[in-house]
Amino acid sequence: MTVAQILALIIFVAMFALIVSDRIEREYVSLGCGVLTLIFVFGVCMHSMDAVMKTLNLRSIFTQEFWYAAGAEEESAMGINWSTIIFIAGMMIMVEGMAKAGFFRWLCMRLAKMVHYKPIPLFLTFMIMSAFLAMFIDSITVILFLAAVTVELARLLKLDPIPMIISEIFCANLGGSATMCGDPPNIIIGTSLRYSFGDFLSNTGVMAGISLILVILYFFLVYRKELLLEEAKAVNPETFPEPSEAIKSKKDFIISCIIFLCAVVMLVTHEQTGLTVAFIGTVIALITLVAAGRNALELIKKIDYRTLLFFIGLFIVVGGLEQTGILEQIAVFIGKVSGGNLKLMVAIIIWVSAVASAFVDNIPFAATMIPVIKSLAVAQGVELSTLAWALSMGTDIGGSATPIGASANVVGTSVAAKSGYPISWGKYCRSAVPATIIVIIVSMLCIFVRYC
Amino acid sequence: MEKQVIIAIGREFGSGGHAIAEQIAKDMGLKLYDRNILEEIAEEKSTKTEVLEKYDEKPRNYILTRRVRGYSNSMEENLAEMQFEYLKKKADTGESFVIVGRCAETILHGREGLITIFVIGDREAKIKRIEKKYELSRSEAISKMNRHDKHRKMYHNKYSKYKWGDSRNYDLCINSSRLGVEGTAKALEVYIKDRIAYSLSQID
Repeated sequence: MTVAQILALIIFVAMFALIVSDRIEREYVSLGCGVLTLIFVFGVCMHSMDAVMKTLNLRSIFTQEFWYAAGAEEESAMGINWSTIIFIAGMMIMVEGMAKAGFFRWLCMRLAKMVHYKPIPLFLTFMIMSAFLAMFIDSITVILFLAAVTVELARLLKLDPIPMIISEIFCANLGGSATMCGDPPNIIIGTSLRYSFGDFLSNTGVMAGISLILVILYFFLVYRKELLLEEAKAVNPETFPEPSEAIKSKKDFIISCIIFLCAVVMLVTHEQTGLTVAFIGTVIALITLVAAGRNALELIKKIDYRTLLFFIGLFIVVGGLEQTGILEQIAVFIGKVSGGNLKLMVAIIIWVSAVASAFVDNIPFAATMIPVIKSLAVAQGVELSTLAWALSMGTDIGGSATPIGASANVVGTSVAAKSGYPISWGKYCRSAVPATIIVIIVSMLCIFVRYC
Repeated sequence: MEKQVIIAIGREFGSGGHAIAEQIAKDMGLKLYDRNILEEIAEEKSTKTEVLEKYDEKPRNYILTRRVRGYSNSMEENLAEMQFEYLKKKADTGESFVIVGRCAETILHGREGLITIFVIGDREAKIKRIEKKYELSRSEAISKMNRHDKHRKMYHNKYSKYKWGDSRNYDLCINSSRLGVEGTAKALEVYIKDRIAYSLSQID
């Protein structure tokens, strides 16, 4: 191992340890480690300005392919993935606009009213809605609103909101795995390896769809006793808030619905139109800001800059591992262990990703694994997409297993805790771990049958 | 209307700080807030007090919990925030009260009428008190005392810029082993009354 490799590895491990310990804000950790990578790994050890430039990857933004990529390559896998950052920022602005207009609360209340606030239909509907919304909107926002409405309704209905919140969180992560824009690991995988929305939908989407049916059935069976008991207690629906009360401004509400639909259409058709996710994110953000008028500044202020900065630092640190060739060595190791057997490679990637993502942030894990599977595919002569789908399902679903595995889990359990319903690790894992195992097995079998 | 007085009492485990707070509250006709805050929070949140109790005045587990966009899934942290809000609301109403623990000296810092006290005790006296109160052996009492003090310290230091028990953070630090619980309470009452009188004289 070279000094640069050792240093890059030390910085990476330190970053992970600091993120897990959660004592310093993760954006400071990743940016600090990113700066150390640039100075010591690329500067002092490698004396390579080229490595710095490749990792910062600023030039890519000024190429046509970055915005419009009909038949062309969309994004370099090296260094900072600006497509991911711009897309996430754009979607954040759109989602803020929708939230401000009262869209999410209205949708939750509307569906609750449609099922007459009956516990079992409510339980099932909210799971499906969670999965569906998370296909297009970040799962944190989905859970933030869904969990808050769940607690509110549970209080009125005198129900225990915890089973509903746990199943909603799981379904949000599952829904996120179905599309390219659902979960951050998928955005990174999609933009780094040049896969389209349609590619995800027809691959991870199918696995997520099959899994969703099983998961709904599973959660129903797990919580059937509580649900049947609660179903027996009839409550007068007259006392519930009207869905229309959630809409703060009818005009803003209609505009936000139209923008959301435009975003969905652009994402679904981006392979055909050649518009990149960076372009879609930028356009959606601009339309939202123009529509917001005087409130535009307020929406810009609400962007989660910390997450975006975290991503930038993270990509630099992973770039350090990539440029020094460490990740290639990991790929060689996986290749040796699997003996060139694709099924074994898939099993290793999906299970290692799932177990790791259950305990550490799945975003840095996915970012690190992308160059690994790329090298592995080249070295072993296997189809890259097969490994990519295994990585996607492993990181997205593995994160569902524990209360800290994915951001949606943290936010959902936090909303519950703030409302006086603590969800312990035991309570969470009792139902989430078996569900995670079911989905990972289903996904692995799907990959075996379809691609191996 | 009478001038508001809020007596915030921090304490080492086994020092008798809680009993002292009870005595002061009783003698001065003030409401005492301690764990009973949980009952009101539980009622407000439509949950049970027992559910919240095990997270009271405990530090966050940094390995098993995470924060995302300002949302923490540590119940300890969320319960602390709920209690802080509760205390601020109580203080805003103008009510006079005695509050035990809960970083009250930091949370209510800067409020007129706030008197902050920290009660310590000699190690031996604390162990004996714990042995008697909880019917424990010496080793069990030591272990309980160390555990509680460690939790209180970590909990406090997370929310306060001063360390737990740092004299700069309190108006008065007192060793309860010198005068006993009752004697300490009496001594503190004299100080509190003098503080109130002094504060009134400043207005006149």
